[in-house]
Formats: sequence, C-alpha cells, structure tokens
Amino acid sequence: MTPTAKRMPVWPLYLGVLVVYPLLVYPERALAGLTEISVGRQLTYIFIYAILALGLNVVVGYTGLLHLGIAAFFGIGAYITGILTVSAYPFQTGFLVALVASTIGAAVFGMLLGAPTLRLRGDYVAIVTLGFGEVTRFTLRNLEEITAGTRGLNPVPPPQLPGFVETPLSWLGIGADWSLDYRLFYYLALGVLVAVIWLLANVERSRLGRAWVAIREDELAATCMGINAARVKLSAFAIGCGLAGLAGCLYATTLTSTAGPDAFDFNRSMIMLCCVILGGLGSIRGTLLGVFLLVGFDNVVAPVLDGLIQAAQINTSGNRFLTFSNWKLMIFGLALVLMVRFRPEGLLPSAQIEAELGHERKSHRPAEAPA
Amino acid sequence: MTSFPLLVAQAESAEFWQTFLQYALIGLTNGALFALIALGYTMVYGIIELINFAHGEVFMLGAFLALTLVLHVMKLDEATPVGLWVGIGLLLLIVPLFCAVINVSIDWLVYKPLRQAPKLAPLVSAIGVSFVLMNVGLLWGGAADVHFPDFVSRHNLLGEDAALSFTYKDLMVVLITVPIMIALTLFVQTTRMGKAMRATAQDPVAAQLMGIHVDRVIGVTFALGGALAGAAAVIYSLYINTVSYQMGFTNGLYAFTAAVLGGIGNIPGAVLGGLVIGLARSFGSGYVGERWTSALVFVILIAILVFRPSGLLGARTREKV
Amino acid sequence: MSRFLPPILLFVLLGVLTLVGWARPADGDPARIKIVSSLPRTGSAKAQTDTIVNGIKMALAEADYRAGDFDIVYADWDDATAGAGQWTAEAETANANRAVNDPDVMAYLGTYNSGAAKISMPILNKAGLLMLSPVNTWPGLTKPAMGDPGEPYIYRPTGKVNYARLVPTDDLQGPLGAVWADEMGVKRVYVLDDNEVYGKGIANLFIEECQNLGIEVLGHESIDVKAQEFKPLMATIKGLNPDLVYFGGTTQSKGGQIAKDMVAAGLDCNLMVPDACYEEVFIESAGADNLNDRCYVTFGGLPPEQLTGPGKQFVDGYRQRFGKKPEAYAIYGYEAGKVALEAIRRAGVKDRQAILDACLAIEDFDQGALGTWSFDENGDSTLRTVTGNIIRDGRFQFVKVLGQ
Repeated sequence: MTPTAKRMPVWPLYLGVLVVYPLLVYPERALAGLTEISVGRQLTYIFIYAILALGLNVVVGYTGLLHLGIAAFFGIGAYITGILTVSAYPFQTGFLVALVASTIGAAVFGMLLGAPTLRLRGDYVAIVTLGFGEVTRFTLRNLEEITAGTRGLNPVPPPQLPGFVETPLSWLGIGADWSLDYRLFYYLALGVLVAVIWLLANVERSRLGRAWVAIREDELAATCMGINAARVKLSAFAIGCGLAGLAGCLYATTLTSTAGPDAFDFNRSMIMLCCVILGGLGSIRGTLLGVFLLVGFDNVVAPVLDGLIQAAQINTSGNRFLTFSNWKLMIFGLALVLMVRFRPEGLLPSAQIEAELGHERKSHRPAEAPA
Repeated sequence: MTSFPLLVAQAESAEFWQTFLQYALIGLTNGALFALIALGYTMVYGIIELINFAHGEVFMLGAFLALTLVLHVMKLDEATPVGLWVGIGLLLLIVPLFCAVINVSIDWLVYKPLRQAPKLAPLVSAIGVSFVLMNVGLLWGGAADVHFPDFVSRHNLLGEDAALSFTYKDLMVVLITVPIMIALTLFVQTTRMGKAMRATAQDPVAAQLMGIHVDRVIGVTFALGGALAGAAAVIYSLYINTVSYQMGFTNGLYAFTAAVLGGIGNIPGAVLGGLVIGLARSFGSGYVGERWTSALVFVILIAILVFRPSGLLGARTREKV
Repeated sequence: MSRFLPPILLFVLLGVLTLVGWARPADGDPARIKIVSSLPRTGSAKAQTDTIVNGIKMALAEADYRAGDFDIVYADWDDATAGAGQWTAEAETANANRAVNDPDVMAYLGTYNSGAAKISMPILNKAGLLMLSPVNTWPGLTKPAMGDPGEPYIYRPTGKVNYARLVPTDDLQGPLGAVWADEMGVKRVYVLDDNEVYGKGIANLFIEECQNLGIEVLGHESIDVKAQEFKPLMATIKGLNPDLVYFGGTTQSKGGQIAKDMVAAGLDCNLMVPDACYEEVFIESAGADNLNDRCYVTFGGLPPEQLTGPGKQFVDGYRQRFGKKPEAYAIYGYEAGKVALEAIRRAGVKDRQAILDACLAIEDFDQGALGTWSFDENGDSTLRTVTGNIIRDGRFQFVKVLGQ
C-alpha cells in the first residue's frame, strides 16, 4: 500500500496560505472590518492549541492511553513560564529559557504521572489523568505564595528579538512591538507548530513511533515482540505532556499572562480530546483539522455570529432565547454528535486506522490513484 | 485551615468526637447522593464500556423538572404537610421516569448507531450530548443558581439543643437512597433481567448467543441509570436547595470518580466509592481545609488506584486479549 | 486533483479579501467615534452587567448619541464565554486588542472583574486608549502600595495613567464593613472568601481592620467555587460560635449557597457580604427566607432609593426607559457613559491621547447622577460614600452611610 510515494504533497500550499495571509495586510483588515475580530490573533491561538492537541495525540492517538488531563500540563507550562519571566520573581530568564524549561518541566510531570498509571488498564488511566488535572488546578489556585492564586502571574514579557532581524522585519512591514503587531506572535507560533509537526512526522515513522502504535494495537503482542511497554508508555507521556508544556509557554507569552488556574480545567482537556478524536486518532492532519474546526468555532465563528446578531438588533428586549451565547453549547454539542455519527473513525483518520476498519472503498477510489 | 497540631491537641476531648461524628454524618449523607448518581454511571459502563459524560446532565435536567413541577404545577410551597409528602412521592415517580426516557432516547439516538465504531468515538458523542443538555438547562433555568424551596423540616432529630445535628432532611436522604440501592441490588442479583444484564456485562457476544436480547438489556440499563439519576435529582434538590445548569458537571465528575474508585462496573463498588468521596470531602473540609477538599478527593483516588488498580471492589481481571 | 482544490480556493479567498481590504478606508469615518464596553455578558454575572449596559445606553441616548461634532456608536462586547460561564483571560485580551486595532474606538468601558482589568490594562495602556471602569474595586489597579508588589505600575508599560474608575475601592469598603460590624457589637467573626481577586482582596482588608478594632478573627478560609455545598465547613464554623460570618465573594461564587448552608447547619449568626452580592439575583439564589434580617450588605455609593436630585432623576428615567428598577450598579454605567461623552466633547478631536487627557483632567464633574466629584492623580474618583444595607422582606433596605 504505497501509492502515495510519488504524490506531490499538498501541505506546502496550506502552509503558504498561512504564511502569506498576514503579509498581505489587506485580508486581515478586510476580515476585521467584516467581523470586528482580529482573525490573525485568533489564528495564533489556534496554532498554540494545535501544538497542545498534537501533544495529546501522542498519548491518546498513537499510544492509545486515554488522557483526560492534558490541560494540567498546558497550565504547568504556562506557570513555569510565568515564574521564570514575570517581574515579581527574581529569575526573569527571558523567553527562550522559559520555553525550554516549560517543555522539560511539563515532560517531567508527565512522567511522574505516567509512572503510577502504567499498571492501570484501560479507562482507569482516564480517571487518574483526570484526577491529576484537577489536583493541579487546585494546587495552582491554592499555592498563592507561588502562583498568585486566581490573579495569575502577569505581565509575562514578550520575547526579545535579536537586533539583526528587526531590519528584515521592517522590510516586510512588521513592527518590532509584540503587543501592537500581532504578526510577531503569529509567526512565532506558526514556526513552532511547523517544527513540532516536522518532529512528530519523523517520530511517527521511527522505532519509537511504531512501538507506540504497537502498544495501542495490542500491548501483549507488543511486549512479546520485545517492546518494553513501560518505557514506551512513559516516553509517550513525556513527549505528549512536554508538547503541552511548550504550548503552555507560548500561550502565556502570547496572552502576556498565565491567565488563572481555571483556564486549565477539565473542560479544556475535554475540548482538546474532542479535537483529536474527531480529527482522527493518530493522524497529524486530522488533529490539525479538528483544532481548526472546534477551536475556530469557539474563537472566531461564535463571536462573529454574536456580533452579527447584535448588529441586526433583533433582540432589543434582552430575551435570553435570542442571544447567540445561549445557544453556543447546543450548536457545539450537536456538531460533535453529528460528526461522530457520520465519521466515527475521525474526519481524516490515519491510513492505518482507516485500513483497519476495512474502508477498502477509499484505497480503491479511482480519483486518488493517478493524482 | 484547622491545623494538625490543633487536631492532636483536641483528640481527647468530647468536642473533638462530636465534630468528628458531625463530619461523618454529613459525609455519609452527601456520599449517599454521590453514590446514587454513580450507580447510573457504573451500570452503563459495565454494559457497554462507555464513560457516559452526559449522565450528570440527565441528573441536572431532572432537578430542573423537579423545580418546575414544584413551583408551577404542584405548588408545593402552599401545600399542607400531608400534601407535601404526597407531592414528594409524586416527584419521585415523575422525575425518574422523565430522566429514564431522556437517557434511553440518548442511547437510542446517539450511542446505538456507534456500537461498532472505534471505542473512543462514543466518548466524544457523550461529551457532545452533555453540552447539548447543559444548554437545555441554561435555556430552562438561566445562568444563575436558582433557589429550590425548602420544604423538609430542619428539625434536629437528636433534640433541638443537641450539639450534634441530624435533621429530618438528613434522615430523608437516607430513607430514600438506601431502599433504592437495596432494590437495585436485588433486581440485578435475583431477577431474570438482572441476570441478563450481568451476562451482557461479561460478554455481550456470548450473551447474544445464549439468546439474550442484548439491545433490550442495554435499553433497560440506560432506563435504570436515568431513573436513578432522576431520583438523585429530587433528593439533591430537596437537600441542597440549589439548582443550576452547571450542577450536572460537578456532580457527574464526582459520581464518575466514585464509580471508578469502587471498581467501575461494580454496583456495591459505586456505593462504597460514593460514600468514600462524601467522607473525604467532609473530613477534608474539617481537618485539611475547605479549599483543598476537591484536590484531596482526587489524591485519594489516585492513591487507591495505585495500590488497587481495579478499584476498591473491582475484580482483578486480566484485560481481554 | 481534488486534493488541491481546498488550498487553491483558500488562495482565491485570500485574493478576494485583499481586494476588499484594499477598497476599505483605513481610518474609518472621521466624524464617527465608537465607545465600547467589555463586560461578562454571558454566565451568572449577566443580570448585573445588563443593568450597567442599560445605564451606559441611557447616558448615550440622552445625548442623542452625539458628543461635540461626533456621532457616537456604542458596542456591547462580551468578555465571558458560554463554556466558562464567566469572564476568561482570552476573551478579555481579544476585546482589548480589538479595541486597540479599531481606529474608531476612543473609549473602553470596563471591566466588571478586577482580574480581567489586570489583563486588558497593559494592552490598552500601550495604545493610549482611555479605559474607564464603572465597577472594578481591587485597590491595586490604581493605588500604589495597596495591592501586590509592583502594582499599579506593571499595568502601565508607558508609565502614563490611562485607566480611571468611578466606584469607591475595596480599601474603603472592606474596612468600613469591619467598622460597621464593630458598631453592631460583633466580637467574634469568621471570614470566608472565594479565592478570587476581588473576594480575597476585600476579605483580607476586612480582617486587617477587624484586628485594628480588636474583633477576634476566628478563622479565614477560601471556598472552592465549584463545590455544591458547604455543610462540613458550616459545621466547623458552628463549633467556633462566631457572632458574624463575613463572605468576601460574589453571587456567582456561591454567596447564595453559603447563606443557605449556614441556615441548614443551624448557624444562627449574621452574615455580611460586600457589594458584589448587592443584586436581586443574590436574594433569589439564596432564598429570601435564608437572608431576611440576618444578611448585611455593604455597597460603594448610595442605593437607588436613597438618591436625590440628579440621582433620583436617573432612577426615574431608568424605570421609565427600561420598565424596571435599576440594580445598584446601573448608575455607575450611566456615569461612565456621561464621563466618556464629556471627555470626547472637551477634547474636540478624534484622537485617543487628547480624549484620555481630557478625561483625566475632569474636575468637579456634576453632569451625571452621582453628585460632584473629580478624578485624582491615580485615576480614582473622589467619591468616598460606602453604605450599609440589610436584607429585609426579601429586599435590600438602606441602613446607614458607613464611617459617619
């Protein structure tokens, strides 16, 4: 089954759209005029959530361990960044150190959590990770001396640009102030995302990546083939949670604040899990699509529709049945139910899972072969 | 925060034991409520291995129905004492029926088409259904907490001036939940349907081969789970007196935790898990500090699972290969 | 080639958008100024923010949506999401950036939650955009040495003040609550808070003053706002036998449940809550029976019934326009609208800096409903009135002006 070897890849075109979009300036202005929303800024968040979801995909998608507490590692990354950079602490290490520390820190916590769960079977892993997520949230909330409680650590300073890039940036029309020109964060997040995808695409095909999938498919058989299940599972936890920490660092830096502990609650974990499962377990493309659809709905479509309904002035009496925000959960929930109903294997499942489910019709589709 | 040195210093005194007993009573009463919700979780899981995240939301809708009935249909706030108990009895029939119907419809509309799908697909559906139901609750009752009128007497059974308090209200919780749990256990252990449920839980395919109508068994399980959530909703509303569209989420989370703690799929386990969580919350609040209680529940959960990977009463089965 | 269709369509869309954006004027309409508000419009704070938004709309409508030579447009933005049920850092950041990037926006009215203000203040500060909060009460937002280390300067990256507020801050309300408790003969108090910026802040200030006054603080505990009931906590408190329980928190952070569980646990002492519980929803969610004659509420400013002169006119006007009595904070929304209009009128140009300067320079402002007041150098109003109220017959009833 390797008819794909010669096919021209399509991803550079998508990447091209994302790279060109902010440089053209006018599309952003047009969208801002039409929707009153900075789509570029929201895309930045979507890139960050994509990194988070890709991390979760390592644990849930490749390795098949149901992880319900990924938001905790997102939060750990954000708070490590906060502690290392805000002015209330003496460290003020700057962005790059914080980025590395957040990734490693979250990975270490991931392994700490992974260790006791190795013995657990199936859904017990789910509840332990869920529990860990909640414990983390309450700890962040209650250890006020360290985390400033619900106030969050702020302001997190933006990264320091090396002097030599400022001139080339100005040729592109990009200002050097991070808070005024969204494009710096946009390209930072996009760059990290592309690097993460490149990394995962390679790991996927490596010895380790194949071991993850082997564990997911049949742990007993994999162990018989000489795979050390404990080590492989731990590595999945470490890499998955480390990526979540990386995303957390970008999140705190972009937001200029760690937000509060409640930004890292079970809800966030659930949404990320939906992105991964809906997109297609173990599929990078699928996970990306899942994030674009679900987070995009929440961050872009919902406020735009809300604005349109307000502008139309159909609801001057303040009737609660006529506001968009009161229907948002319903629409979101129905979308989840319907998408699963019609694509239970995910929107863009990995080739392997697709094959496994016996969708032969796909591999024989005539339109695909000559492309 | 009540500190541990203080705790030790008090350990000998009568007051200490009094407060200790008080926490235990509160914990057990709350635990009984968690257990009732957890039962629905655990039964559904036992049969189709689905973490039914929508279960808490069914419970929440039951509470809103109870509120609507009480305020607008039965007008219980104006009823005589006898009328009140009849009213509560009626609530305990109507609301569980309503929740059972919702739960069965959810299964029929959403989960049933996914029986052959990959294992995690129904989980996303469950999350989706939970959002939809939460939104229904939001439209039904609004965003703020709603007060549920207080009918049941707060008269202390141990005497009005006793330091220890166990009220009619607490007694009501026990008087309703315990028979329900016993009835459920008897149903599962002795009836034909109960036997079919246990068989399906063990191996659906084999059960089908033995002539068990598996779809009907699943339907009955969802109906029972929903009815239990409905009963819990009535008792909860009468006991806690607050209804909100977000209550399903928090209580569902605890119920799920209780179910897993006891050994998911195990009925006595769910009850035990519920009681453990109720007690953990109550003692946690008393001796560790209110703001740590929720964290404490999950720490206990993780600790128990590390030492007993299949929960307190879960069978140490090997995973089916 | 179907795989290539979606990205090609995206490129076409990009081209179309470029043309649309190119055709649009960059700086909007020179005769049009936009005032925006950023408040939690979904979730449980909605009732309060409805009334604030109504107040703002009323102020603008009375001026026929004009200030000086400019047409005024108002937009009501939400910094809460349905999923969270309360304000989120992301939504508030998005709103602040949206305001900064919209060249028509000249005034940003908000926020409701002090925690949210901490996030949008630095963003708006860099753009030199006027931020006017009707209801933020955390002292650290404006007052040096009253909040966390570094406050309020960390919110002013440019070093200039761009944030002003109208309501008296918690460093007045919290201690005056303690003074009131002392006057009522309270000797032993137990303090609860919701662990949020506002609730915890005001609880700490209350405790500090209690200690100065010699009131014994039996304990201080933060609740988990997602918990459903607090019966064990109430059992603990009952064992300590306080004269008063103080709850630093809001209706949304379980103020109602606290009152309920106090009664359920047989704790028959009084309850005192701060201004965030001064709303009808608080009474509804707690059940009037659980509050009547035992719940004291402090509030920054005079309650609507006590207002005279322009204040009374405002209350009557509001009732006429919206068909119901204004909640306590409506008047601050109204005042904020008036102040923004006055600043635009005085500046006379569509320029953020000029309007900001004009606003902070306001002295002896008397066109609103709050009386005559000025902004001090931190951006705080000189109003200092804090009142004490009690809940009786299911309604808030004015008791006295505190500290007099």
